[in-house]
Amino acid sequence: MPVPQQFGRGDRMGRGPYEKSGIIEDNGLPPNKRVEERFDIPYPMEEVDGTRRPTTYDMDVEVKLWYLPFGTMESSPHLWREFKRTVSVSRGGK
Amino acid sequence: MRLPSVSLPLALVALTVTAVATIAQAAPAGIGRDGTIAARKGKARTIAELAAMYDSSSCVECHQEAHDQWAASPHARPVFGTGRTAATFRTAVLNGLMAWPYSGVKGPKDVKVEHLMGCAKCHLPQLADATDAVASELAQSIFAWADAVQAGEDAKRAKEEKKLLSLGITCLVCHNRNAIVHKWTDGYPQAGVVYGSKAGAHDSPGFPKMAVSPVMHESILCGQCHGLGPNLELDNPTQCGTGYGSYLWAYRAEGGRETCQDCHMRKSGLGHKILSYSDPAMIKAAVDFEADAQGMYWRDGTRVSARAVVRIAMTNRSGHSIPDG
Repeated sequence: MPVPQQFGRGDRMGRGPYEKSGIIEDNGLPPNKRVEERFDIPYPMEEVDGTRRPTTYDMDVEVKLWYLPFGTMESSPHLWREFKRTVSVSRGGK
Repeated sequence: MRLPSVSLPLALVALTVTAVATIAQAAPAGIGRDGTIAARKGKARTIAELAAMYDSSSCVECHQEAHDQWAASPHARPVFGTGRTAATFRTAVLNGLMAWPYSGVKGPKDVKVEHLMGCAKCHLPQLADATDAVASELAQSIFAWADAVQAGEDAKRAKEEKKLLSLGITCLVCHNRNAIVHKWTDGYPQAGVVYGSKAGAHDSPGFPKMAVSPVMHESILCGQCHGLGPNLELDNPTQCGTGYGSYLWAYRAEGGRETCQDCHMRKSGLGHKILSYSDPAMIKAAVDFEADAQGMYWRDGTRVSARAVVRIAMTNRSGHSIPDG
């Protein structure tokens, strides 16, 4: 979203719309531009007989794109997109 | 030799008097301004008068579908908006106007029209056609409503809600008051005329004429409220809506060609409901979303760890930054 600059000065975000007179940054999605995100999620690992291995080989990954009109999940969140996949890693190998 | 010394002061006095008379008689610029609804009716002195000034209840007789769509939109309840607006009006007075040392506001009673225009430019543009008494009444009503909500006083809450809900971005706000942006070019919107896509007779006693609005299908119509950014003409500039600014500089300037009405009314099938983030059709059209995930082992020297790599790509297909408004 366009992060409002308090009274158009400094580095503070305005408290309410009545303080908005500038933009510190816009962390929203710009129109017609592809935005990519990458997340690396570590598996929990354990050491067994001197070898590190995952405590589980399957991980359920869920990605949800939420629209938060008031900035928090507590107030009228809207789920826009959802992706689910079970990711697996091999059980053998060194 | 003595005459010039006498005539100079007289001339100065005469000039001064003329200037005062000119200021006293100065009327707002523009031909036809006296034919607007606000000019014909005079400034509203109460919320009831302001509601009556742009009352569009007679439109429903012939435009039932458009009315029903509008009634389900935030335009029908702009003081409450998408849920937080009335509370934000209150905090704008409480934490803003009452806290700022030079606003002249000690409590909601002191609120004048110009104090509220940072909010009202979008949420109640017709407040500009009201006296300061209406701004004061509006602020007091919002405070009373908020107090009733906190105290759980349902009857008091309902009474104030009824008053606040009487104020809307009604048919006449868009199809008359705000239907012409360039008033010196296209003329002032006239009382008794409904502006849209057609000209001719209009079967309504109060509004017997139709005229073409040159901007009814243009984004600038919406841009009057869903704004550019801070209104620097205000004594304390602010504006929360920056959607039109984003549309102009991030969308049109980058090759986008659709209008606000194309997406929010026509393609979405919303008509006068004009919704955004909460509507399924708008949500579907707003973003291309791709996601992928795979598992892998990462090796850092002799240390091996497993990870899931998740890649997401999003392309905003709307005409402005998301979120914005």
